[in-house]
Amino acid sequence: MSSDFYTTSIVPFSGIIIKICRAYTNSQEDFEDYYQEVCLQIWKSRENFRGDSEWSTWIYRLSLNVCLTLLKKRKSNGRQFSSDRLPDEAMEDSTAFESESLNVLYDAIRQLSEIDRGVILLYLEEKSYQEIAHIIGTNANNVGVRIKRIKERLKKLLDGKIN
Amino acid sequence: MEKSIERIWKEGFLKQDAMVAPKVNDLYNQKSDHIIDKIIRMGKINLYAIAIGSLVVLTIALMVGSYMGGTLLFLVLNSLVWAAVQNSKGLQRIDKGGSSYEYINSFNNWLQSYIRKFRRIYRVVYPLIFFAFLLGFWEYGGADITRELLESNPDMTFILGVPKLVFIIGLLIVGLAALFSGPLYRFDVWSVYGPVLRKLKEILTDMEELRS
Repeated sequence: MSSDFYTTSIVPFSGIIIKICRAYTNSQEDFEDYYQEVCLQIWKSRENFRGDSEWSTWIYRLSLNVCLTLLKKRKSNGRQFSSDRLPDEAMEDSTAFESESLNVLYDAIRQLSEIDRGVILLYLEEKSYQEIAHIIGTNANNVGVRIKRIKERLKKLLDGKIN
Repeated sequence: MEKSIERIWKEGFLKQDAMVAPKVNDLYNQKSDHIIDKIIRMGKINLYAIAIGSLVVLTIALMVGSYMGGTLLFLVLNSLVWAAVQNSKGLQRIDKGGSSYEYINSFNNWLQSYIRKFRRIYRVVYPLIFFAFLLGFWEYGGADITRELLESNPDMTFILGVPKLVFIIGLLIVGLAALFSGPLYRFDVWSVYGPVLRKLKEILTDMEELRS
């Protein structure tokens, strides 16, 4: 990967990749693996970008797909857990961010299903329902209903943990 | 009052240090380790399978009375295992201290020379395997075949105690095995290792492109 491509096409969007990878990993080591794999896939798939969406939207979609694929692979290798609820020992990465509240929020997000994690991340990144629908391949109504349900779930998970 | 998730998100990511990206300097480190481990593991399993298989074949051959064929096949297959183990020692000389590209490149060079060496070995091994099978079958049912052939053609000639026709067919099979040992070996290797070898090539191509 040329350093030019990395500097101009990935670094400005590394925040997106970090946010997504953190939601799908439970340790610093896994996070770094996922981050590197996403960067690699962006570079390898760069010619598939047709420009019919923004580069950032394309990165969101690709990052989500790579994370979901890696999660599936690791599950089949017995390295991951059911997405609905993680065992306590999986929560080793609860100090990834300086903000305590953000760490607690990420812990809660990691307890959502794989798709719901992607949906809420995109929502928190202030993507429109239409954009989220486009990225995850559904319709805007479905996204709206889903976000409402996810927020209720997160509220329950965060109840009393954040002031 | 509890903060909303939107506020936690915004406030949490206001600080730039929340977004420190890991270094992307050795992208293929894990991939190269994985693929090499996989090929080595497959190779070991293959050798165990040949060794165990040869023992099973020997047992069956001894039970049905194909002593020479069974023993020859057992010896040929185990010589192959021995040669593979000896040649695998070169793997330990590969320097793992360099970059993942150097490691995977050295491994690929070693693998290619291993394949070339075994292609030559198989020029002898394939005919021997076929010969051992033919010998085994001959020991098992040769007498019946000879009797039937003699009934239909009492004047037939023999070569080394084997009817001329059977001898020629056997010779043809062994000769063809020697002649086509190259394609046979290629088929053998690709049917077992094809997907991982393709993956190895793909990774190397990517790494070379990454370095350019």
